[in-house]
Amino acid sequence: MSADDWFRTDRLPHIYCTGCGNGTIINCTLEAVDAMGWNKNDTVFISGIGCSSRAPGYIVTDSLHTTHGRALAFATGVKLANPRLHIVVFTGDGDLAAIGGNHFIHACRRNVDMTVVCMNNMIYGMTGGQGSPCTPVGALSTTTPYGMGEPVFDLAELAVTAGANYVARWTSYHVTELTRAIQTGLETPGFSFIEAMVQCPTAYGRRNKLRQVSDMITYLKTHALLMQKKKRMEEEGEPIPPEMFAVGEFTRRSRPALGVPK
Amino acid sequence: MKLVIDERRCKGCNICTMVCPYRIFREGDRLNDRGVVVPRLDRPERCTNCRLQGLYGRRLCGVCQMICPDQAIRWEEEKPYEPHRVVIEF
Ligand SMILES: Cc1ncc(C[n+]2csc(CCOP(=O)(O)OP(=O)(O)O)c2C)c(N)n1
Ligand code: SF4
Ligand code: SF4
Repeated sequence: MSADDWFRTDRLPHIYCTGCGNGTIINCTLEAVDAMGWNKNDTVFISGIGCSSRAPGYIVTDSLHTTHGRALAFATGVKLANPRLHIVVFTGDGDLAAIGGNHFIHACRRNVDMTVVCMNNMIYGMTGGQGSPCTPVGALSTTTPYGMGEPVFDLAELAVTAGANYVARWTSYHVTELTRAIQTGLETPGFSFIEAMVQCPTAYGRRNKLRQVSDMITYLKTHALLMQKKKRMEEEGEPIPPEMFAVGEFTRRSRPALGVPK
Repeated sequence: MKLVIDERRCKGCNICTMVCPYRIFREGDRLNDRGVVVPRLDRPERCTNCRLQGLYGRRLCGVCQMICPDQAIRWEEEKPYEPHRVVIEF
């Protein structure tokens, strides 16, 4: 079997814009799921609302495309009703951190056994580019015409603090590392959170002088700061540029988890 | 194995041209019947996967296939197998 067997090929090509990074994250997730050797009948993909949340519609297994922000609430229900099922959640930054923020912290706290892949495109893509809690400071969006003035929500750090068992962040450019991180997340009992920074050339890039897809990829590549390097810089007292985000593994631990089959 | 771009899926984003270590994918210059400029392949037989996938029995490199957001890149079996003379410059 290969990752290809998990796609609903009759539904491809998908509706994502040219150069949208969401497709890459689906590739990486299915590659990791395939490497786990899971059965299609025991795997469920769950999502909320948004461009990113359309992903389960292109996958052959059973799936739930739920209401905005409530993917984790539905996922918790599915897992507790039948702990033998493998749960993978696709979500966006707006879906997870804005309207679904409370479900997120409590799913981390309860440490429900599931893997959450958040495609963070730093904007509300589907509704045309409103600012999200993850829009970088100074970035333009339809709701921040003079530049975003609020600080960014660091979702990976939030998941660590709230109690998730495994947390990692990569970008759509780091496909190999991202696939490995997702697979580690799938293997870890308890709540695994993988944040994937992705490009949205349509709603984000177009307004922020990153119109070309290659510009957005270069942005992700140059703004990613390796965890090891960040730690070294902190030790040496070097200032960390505020516009950069750390990539790598944030935590791996074994707090008591909910919904792990006995 | 032969490297192919599925013209019915490719949306012409050119991300593949940024990642291939051999720079096999080059920006295309011709609209296809779907109105997409699909990248052109520069001597695809140089691809590690085309040459060695059969020998190793698994996918090697494959970074273009992983990063292509539209699942448009794949390798096809060539039958009968045609050996290529490959020149690799470093
Ligand atoms: C209850 C509710 N409020 C608002 C909306 C409108 N809405 C649809 S998608 C979306 C934003 C999604 O953003 P994100 O989760 O970042 O996903 P993206 O499209 O960027 O991948 C919003 C606000 C909705 N569908 N339902
Ligand atoms: S609007 Fe952005 S996130 Fe949505 S499909 Fe287009 S590029 Fe992707
Ligand atoms: S990455 Fe895929 S969709 Fe984009 S140009 Fe290359 S083959 Fe086409």
